[in-house]
Amino acid sequence: MSILANKDTRVVIQGGAAGVNAARRMAEFCYLIKRPLTVEAFVYPPDAGKTNEVPYGSGLIAIPIYKTIAEATKNHPAINTSLVYIGADRAMKGGMEALDDPNIKVVSMITEGVPEKDAKLLGAHARKLGKVFNGPSSIGIISAGACRLGVIGGAFDNLVLSKLYREGSFGVITKSGGLSNEIIWICSQFADGITTAIGIGGDAYPGTDYVSYLEMFENDPQTKAVVIVGEMGGDLEERAAEWYGAKKRRVKLIGVVSGFCQESLPKGMKFGHAGAKEGMKGEGSARSKSDALKKSGAIVPPTFGALGPAIKEAYQELLKSGQVKEPVEPAVLPKLPKSVEEAMKADEVMVAPLIRTTISDDRGDEPCYDGYPASELINKGYEIPHVIGLLWDKRLISKQEAEIIKRIMMLSADHGPCVSGAYATILAACAGIGLSQAVAAGLIMIGPRFGGAVTDAGRWFKYAVDNKMTVDEFLAYMKKNVGPVPGIGHRVKSLRNPDKRVKELVGYVKSLNIKTPCLDFALAVEQVTAVKKDNLILNVDGTMAAVLVDLGFPVDSLNGFFILSRTIGLIGHWVDQKRQDSRLIRLFDYLVNYAAPKRREVPPLK
Amino acid sequence: MAKVLEGPGMGLMKKWGIHVPNYVVVTSADELTKLGQANDWMKTSKLVAKAHEALGSRFKLGLVKVGLDLNAAVAATKEMIGRQVGSITVSQVIVSEMVPHKEEYYCAVKSTREGSEILVANCGGIEVESNWDRVKRLCLEVGQSPSSAQLEKLSKDAGFTGPLAKKMADFAGKMFTCFDSEDAQYLEVNPVVTRESDGELVALDAVTLLDGDAKFRHPDWNFAFAAEFGRSYSKDEMEVMAVDSKIKGSVKFIEIPGGDTAMLPAGGGASVYYSDAVVARGGKLANYAEYSGDPPDWAVEVLTEKVCSLPGIKNIIVGGAIANFTDVKKTFGGIINGFRKAKGDGKLKGVKIWVRRGGPREKEGLDAMRALKDEGFDINVFDRNTPLTDIVDKALQK
Repeated sequence: MSILANKDTRVVIQGGAAGVNAARRMAEFCYLIKRPLTVEAFVYPPDAGKTNEVPYGSGLIAIPIYKTIAEATKNHPAINTSLVYIGADRAMKGGMEALDDPNIKVVSMITEGVPEKDAKLLGAHARKLGKVFNGPSSIGIISAGACRLGVIGGAFDNLVLSKLYREGSFGVITKSGGLSNEIIWICSQFADGITTAIGIGGDAYPGTDYVSYLEMFENDPQTKAVVIVGEMGGDLEERAAEWYGAKKRRVKLIGVVSGFCQESLPKGMKFGHAGAKEGMKGEGSARSKSDALKKSGAIVPPTFGALGPAIKEAYQELLKSGQVKEPVEPAVLPKLPKSVEEAMKADEVMVAPLIRTTISDDRGDEPCYDGYPASELINKGYEIPHVIGLLWDKRLISKQEAEIIKRIMMLSADHGPCVSGAYATILAACAGIGLSQAVAAGLIMIGPRFGGAVTDAGRWFKYAVDNKMTVDEFLAYMKKNVGPVPGIGHRVKSLRNPDKRVKELVGYVKSLNIKTPCLDFALAVEQVTAVKKDNLILNVDGTMAAVLVDLGFPVDSLNGFFILSRTIGLIGHWVDQKRQDSRLIRLFDYLVNYAAPKRREVPPLK
Repeated sequence: MAKVLEGPGMGLMKKWGIHVPNYVVVTSADELTKLGQANDWMKTSKLVAKAHEALGSRFKLGLVKVGLDLNAAVAATKEMIGRQVGSITVSQVIVSEMVPHKEEYYCAVKSTREGSEILVANCGGIEVESNWDRVKRLCLEVGQSPSSAQLEKLSKDAGFTGPLAKKMADFAGKMFTCFDSEDAQYLEVNPVVTRESDGELVALDAVTLLDGDAKFRHPDWNFAFAAEFGRSYSKDEMEVMAVDSKIKGSVKFIEIPGGDTAMLPAGGGASVYYSDAVVARGGKLANYAEYSGDPPDWAVEVLTEKVCSLPGIKNIIVGGAIANFTDVKKTFGGIINGFRKAKGDGKLKGVKIWVRRGGPREKEGLDAMRALKDEGFDINVFDRNTPLTDIVDKALQK
């Protein structure tokens, strides 16, 4: 047996994230004692109609969220308990709503900082209705082997260590949440564990006090002794002492009180819980409480440390008198399933990875590119081209190579608004399309006819050089197998009107003392083709391609240099249009050659 | 519980129809001179000047001056502003009119478990303290307001007769309305006096304690709460309070000058047991501190730095019960960072650190603490198998 929370308890949780976390903890306990999840519903208006997923064992249970308590209890008539996890400013309204529901008999509130008046009104309302209002500031209620309300009891390992999977003989009432766990642990180590432990909250006026719960424990035959952990302030401990001393009680009462330090501290100093404040004339002091408990016949160990041995002594007496028997521990207890991560850490499972990466790792405190931490690269003077080298070719390129890449990017960053890519981005920007989509529209244009010839040019120049072809052999091969030579030819530029970008790049690369077999070959090709036709010159794509192949970049990465550089321009065009607040544009009729059939009659549908 | 100084306290009473003397709160003598030109009562009445700070025994300290004319009040203000009393610098002076009167009475409303209690006595000032049996009470359930019949009976029981009985009943009724509407926890007027000019009851001195938790529904509480222990908060205390107001969970820090045992325990309940254990062992607390409710690690780090900065400490008690949901590894991470920073700043020389804790990820957290030994910290780490306050016994063993 137990009090307040038992095997028939079914719960609605009022509140958001903190409530869901409590439900998770409660599910762990249900799993430990092999019972279905006690939480049947949430009430949280912002998410009404959705569900919260609560892990149970290795599965997930979807718990519905309602707008009101009434809806929750209508759909889940077994609900008889509510846990309140809502903010202090709305806690009273939520608590009242729960108390007013005919199905709900127990309301426990974890909210801290609830105004005193609100707490008193809730307590008074509950008493009037013959219900229990526990809290505010309550960590929860737990009945060993039966039911957990809230996060009381702590992590799964602690539930097991504190033997909360089966009933003991000790009731626990504390104001402090942390100490409730401590006492549960002590009861499991020095005695046979607990029946029910209740956190009543550390406020000045808890909704339900020691006396009401002592009365319940007195009527619970399984509970043989009750441990209360008090603190200075208020008169709850004195009232408990009064109750205990009033007549012969079946349960033993063991109590400790904190706050003796106040005798030697600055007067008026506030510490501990909200309710821990000494009244005028020494009433509510730790000493007066401790003395009252002693006088009533309760066992009052001198310090918290002496509590364990006192509980042990009480337990031994209970054993000797035959009131309790040594508990039988279950042979096997369920183990909380580990997450995949935890199991891997413990070398218990092997997982076949879904993807494989060889370039970067973000699992530390910063990303590493090919093993090098980004901040270290920055601080040692490396630049964007080096990052490109690491991520595209997995190597740390030289200063000279980086300079070439930088120049390539600067030369191809933009080429005015009229080219396909920029025009597509501008068109999209004018239609009010967002940055990433508009830039993507421009990037989509990059292909065989616009900017996308770098890879192909590199591939064939490399093919020729690798196979030691002559220019003539190469041109014949291309004519026969491929078609026009990628990287050769320009729409407007010619020998007489050369592309300045090509001149610049070739001039720079040739000024360096490096071997450039591909570039040399490409220039030789130009010598031949340009004679045939004036505009069959080595274009900027072909030049970039040849240089990058000479630097050792993989052929498949070459288009990337154009895509990356041109993205700078595309973003610029989008921002430019946005800044001007450009209007939607459309083609003018006169820019279209309407070659469609003349207007004619639609024949009847057959 | 939040204490409110006289000025705003009287403001709240006035709001609910209780007669209070005319008063002004000033921060300089010049301000008072200007106000004196604008307000007739300051020229025609005798005045009282009091330091408007959370100080006890102001009379003895010479921070209350009575029977002044305006010039004398300005002089008194000039003298009081800037005076240093302990850690408090007087920055405000309240100047009010003296109310000539013969009789003094007493009225208070206080919070009780059931609701509230109205207290009335037909003596006041220091007389009521030595004649506490003359105080009569009316107990009210929460949500219940006193009827005029109840109030009149209370007034008569306290010995008021004739028209005064009715007046006192009205006064007590207004006190209750103020108490109830303003989420007060304690309101006391001592003395209540009969103003000779019009025969009305006037509140001469007010003690006002409000429920700080109810601030969210009182947008007109535009005043600061006063420290409750006769000194102002220190810089470090205020910094921790500022952190506390920003975070989920809580961090608390109060300095106790002269102590040598620093406290850094977890939990509002356990922290007091730790303090008790230090006192019981004959130790001297250097502070009170507490963190709970799974606060972020950086908040615990700030708290740790403040604890490590306490002068003359020999031991630091990093105690705690078995946590329900406070992540031990995370919060200890904050403490460890704080320790490292303090050590880097040359603090913690010869200071012994004592740790005891349980709860979610206790093993990882305790292991991380143990590892501090390798960094040269004098640290002793215990788990849940060592009873809660045993680390205090070990720390203070002579």
